Amino acid sequence: MSFWIPLRSLLRNRRRTLLSVAIIALGTAISLFVFGFLEDSRLQIQASTVAEYGNLQIGSPDLWNDTADGYDYLIQPTQLAEIDTLLNAHERILGTTSQLQFPGLLASGNETQVVRVTALVPENETLAVREASIVEGRPLQTGDVAEILIGRSLAERLGLTTGSVVTLTLTTVNGAFNATPLRVAGIYKFSSEQVELRSIYMPQPFAQLLLQTQGIDRIVVSLDSIASTETAATALQSGLDAAGIPLEVRTWYELSPIYEQLAGYFDILFGFLTLAVFILVFFIILQVLTLAFLERTREIGTIRALGTTRGQVFSQLLIESAWLAVIGGAAGVLVGILMGVGFNAIGLEWRPPGTVEESVLSVQLGLMIVTPPFLVALISTFLSAIFPAIQTSRLRVVDALRVN
Amino acid sequence: MNSESQFCHEQGLSFLQTKDLSKVYQVGGFDVHALRSVNFIAKQGDFTVINGPSGSGKTTFLNMISAIDRPSTGEVLIEGVSTSSLNEKQLAKLRRDRIGLIFQTFNLIPVLTAAENTEYPLLLQRLSKSERTERVASILEEVGLGELAKRRPNELSGGQRQRIAIARALITQPKMVLADEPTANLDSETGGQVMNLMRRLNEEHCVVFIVVTHDPAVTEYAKRQVRIHDGSLQEAVAV
Repeated sequence: MSFWIPLRSLLRNRRRTLLSVAIIALGTAISLFVFGFLEDSRLQIQASTVAEYGNLQIGSPDLWNDTADGYDYLIQPTQLAEIDTLLNAHERILGTTSQLQFPGLLASGNETQVVRVTALVPENETLAVREASIVEGRPLQTGDVAEILIGRSLAERLGLTTGSVVTLTLTTVNGAFNATPLRVAGIYKFSSEQVELRSIYMPQPFAQLLLQTQGIDRIVVSLDSIASTETAATALQSGLDAAGIPLEVRTWYELSPIYEQLAGYFDILFGFLTLAVFILVFFIILQVLTLAFLERTREIGTIRALGTTRGQVFSQLLIESAWLAVIGGAAGVLVGILMGVGFNAIGLEWRPPGTVEESVLSVQLGLMIVTPPFLVALISTFLSAIFPAIQTSRLRVVDALRVN
Repeated sequence: MNSESQFCHEQGLSFLQTKDLSKVYQVGGFDVHALRSVNFIAKQGDFTVINGPSGSGKTTFLNMISAIDRPSTGEVLIEGVSTSSLNEKQLAKLRRDRIGLIFQTFNLIPVLTAAENTEYPLLLQRLSKSERTERVASILEEVGLGELAKRRPNELSGGQRQRIAIARALITQPKMVLADEPTANLDSETGGQVMNLMRRLNEEHCVVFIVVTHDPAVTEYAKRQVRIHDGSLQEAVAV
């Protein structure tokens, strides 16, 4: 049977068809826009999380499970050569660096702040230095000793500037207290206020000296893309297991449970929106098509009398709804993309909760964004046609022909 | 007008037969007998006009023999096969391949052109595009509307629409064409032209024509007249 006859049938009542297309298009456009916005937010959080944690981290199970007795989880220099060989063999790795993290108490005058110290190798560092841009002073450099980078929020809270001297108190690997004066070399900014408040950075050799160890607690791995994370994690873990190195690989999303929660929340939001659009489109189009098919009862009776089977009538009506769905969905995608492009061009800014930086609000517009709302439009319109199409195709020919 | 066909080689073979055909409707709790034990035979080449007043059962009879309605009792045999033994799909196939229908109000599909309306039954038969085009062009020429092929029904006069309906009924080369009040919506001159056309096609195609009407003028074109009254076939007159 022809695909064009249903299209012409659809176009006979242009006003009603236009209304139906507008409803489907509106639902699709709103759905696409919101999905694109949520996806953009998710990608921003993803980028920020990867910037903070790297794509992967390698460490002891005791570190990840918080089951260590003191500093038992540290990776000793003897293991590092073997791990380096493993890492160098992986083509998707852009860079690696060792880190040593430990808690401490930072004091300036009468003010104190509990901090997480990240001891890094400046020349290898691809993380904090890349994302956390320096707003005052300079980044850490090879050869620095008792110098630190602090966050902008911490600097404000403790009233510090570059060159200020603070005191860090910590516990060594042997359980003894240690304290040292440190000079602020630079102040960084980061998207998260909590990171700015709690994270300070210092050169690794000096940190090892303070902790009285040669060990590190993790190796941070940067990959060529976020999409490579899963594959690289599996490959590295297999390599570690094969080499008998008792370390575990953690991905950035495992290291940041908040990302998983936020991603789940966005999924729920989009799920609700999709459901609402689906129900709206389904019931409105159901009404419209029921009326449209009812108006053509006599015509349906005629084509049945001419020898069209019930199945053929049913499929013709479904093709009609498919046209409606495709036209409405495509129009919705077009409108949604235009809305997104317009919104992105405006460049609205806002400051997300818990952050110190204004973010540009934007909408992602790719095939992966466009496809789900388009499919929702397609499926809801198509399903809404099934019941009236069944009813219409099952009319008795003689009754249908009597209708004026 | 009553000349016999020179080309109808199968003339005389029975195509349609009804046996004790009855139809009873329930109206307001009462039985209304629309047809009462109707026995009827139509042979190849017949041009039968069934006339009778409104409510006499003409259309009900036509619905039964066109296989769009089922009898209460009795049976309709088309080429010896009882329509009661066929399922919906088989009935649709029977109507598609063996029967042509012409309606009082033409019943053309408004979104299709004259050619497309004519072509529609061939789409159901899944004929190739080239064969469909060839047949449509030929039949439209035959009914005198070759030049109006691309017009929509609302751009045609009543007589032209009915010619398109006739072309649509004949395009599948059916064995029987059933017409329900084909001239009711036409003026007498146009009605006469349509009847002449049907009669000519009957002669040329050796197709059974059964025309139901209450218009006495139509009976002039009949080879055979049947009168129906109160659901009973009262007379059958060879003209």
